[in-house]
Amino acid sequence: MRALKPLRIEGTPEARLRPAIWKLTDVRLRVGLAALVATLFFVGAVSAQHRIGPSGDIAAKISYCKDCHGVSAQGYNGYFPIPRLAGQQPVYLQNQLRAFIEHRRTNNIMFNVAHSLSPAMVDALATHFASLHPPPIGGAPRQKVATGRKIFEDGMPEVNIAACAACHGPDATGSGQIPRLAGQLYPYLIKTLNNWDKERGRNPTVPDASAIMSPVAHSLNRSQIEAVAAFVSTLR
Amino acid sequence: MKPMRFPPPQRHRTALFRAPVAPALIVAAAALTLVFISPAAAQDNVSKSEADAKLRYCEVCHGAAAQGFHGYYPIPRLAGQPTEYLKNQLQAFVEHRRTSNIMFNVGHVLSPAMINALTTDFNQLNPKPLGGAPKQDLDEGKKIFDNGVAGTNVPPCASCHGPQAKGNGPFPRLAGQLYDYITNKLTNWDKERGQNPSSPDTSAVMQPIAHSLTQPQIKAVAAYLSYLE
Repeated sequence: MRALKPLRIEGTPEARLRPAIWKLTDVRLRVGLAALVATLFFVGAVSAQHRIGPSGDIAAKISYCKDCHGVSAQGYNGYFPIPRLAGQQPVYLQNQLRAFIEHRRTNNIMFNVAHSLSPAMVDALATHFASLHPPPIGGAPRQKVATGRKIFEDGMPEVNIAACAACHGPDATGSGQIPRLAGQLYPYLIKTLNNWDKERGRNPTVPDASAIMSPVAHSLNRSQIEAVAAFVSTLR
Repeated sequence: MKPMRFPPPQRHRTALFRAPVAPALIVAAAALTLVFISPAAAQDNVSKSEADAKLRYCEVCHGAAAQGFHGYYPIPRLAGQPTEYLKNQLQAFVEHRRTSNIMFNVGHVLSPAMINALTTDFNQLNPKPLGGAPKQDLDEGKKIFDNGVAGTNVPPCASCHGPQAKGNGPFPRLAGQLYDYITNKLTNWDKERGQNPSSPDTSAVMQPIAHSLTQPQIKAVAAYLSYLE
């Protein structure tokens, strides 16, 4: 690297005021500077593994998730309905990623996504998605929403259907391990409730939190599922 | 075209379903008569399968052995509760003396026979406490529970709730109750209980106590209780 040679204006006041460090023609200074740069580069490279936040690797991973889950993680009606992750409870997201890795929740695509994620990356992703708040995709049939609201808020005690709000909250925002449902995709919710036992809790020797929903999913009939799904899919 | 037969021919059923129509109708009429002329008798029983289904429904929110659950709200432990207390609370929900939209809906469809069955079932469950409360003030909590708070309106909790906090009759079991459920209730007593001033109920007993306890005292006693078995 050509040593920096400041423009010399001999004999002028400016020349006398220039900082001495600009005189890099000295070999010792050049070697010292190269060593410093190399050290900083090495330190930076080592700490990059633990760096979370606005850095190249997490941004790339988020962009990759959004390829399927939507530009603001609002979900996408692909070949399969791909769920909304925006505003999701971080503990719930972490649990699902772990469930995919351990094949307690069966999905080949998500297994492949999840098993390469470090714990720090899982935390960072969950925190990021929880902070997004795009409007719901919508599109559910409107005439089912009123019935869905009734089931969600009051339950149907005559037929032993618990009020969803008791656990998912009055605004369906969830809490802790209990997922947000507000704004979730209508077809995704229907598919999930209809197929609960086929997709969740797939390792009988390792029971997990999904067991809580199994009796609920069973007790709802098709039209109740569609009504509740329609209602929560409209919530912000 | 063949005339339609009633009932339609059951070619693949067992003999049971080929009973002649007339005697079947007479038996059905007799059964219905019995049901309608003795309404009290009809409600004295609830079938085991109905009671089991209702119990499983309660357990969706209250936990697989009614140990309680951290839903959006802390949902209380019902296991080991005295039946009289549970019945009083269900009644309070139905009459809006205790405010909870969800529990009002749950409660108002229950027959007396179903309430008997459910409360008996809950009383007999005995799972371990859910746990999870902070542990630094358990001694302080035990002191308050055993001795009350000197110089205030707070008697020893044990005097009504029992030395092991198992409750009795109208006094609820507190042993193993959820930490955040107890703190919420004690903090918000007036907002949730005794909501019909023209119909005062047993919740009035706790009102001065809930008022006199400070937040640190509430948290200490709640944490202590939440670990009791």
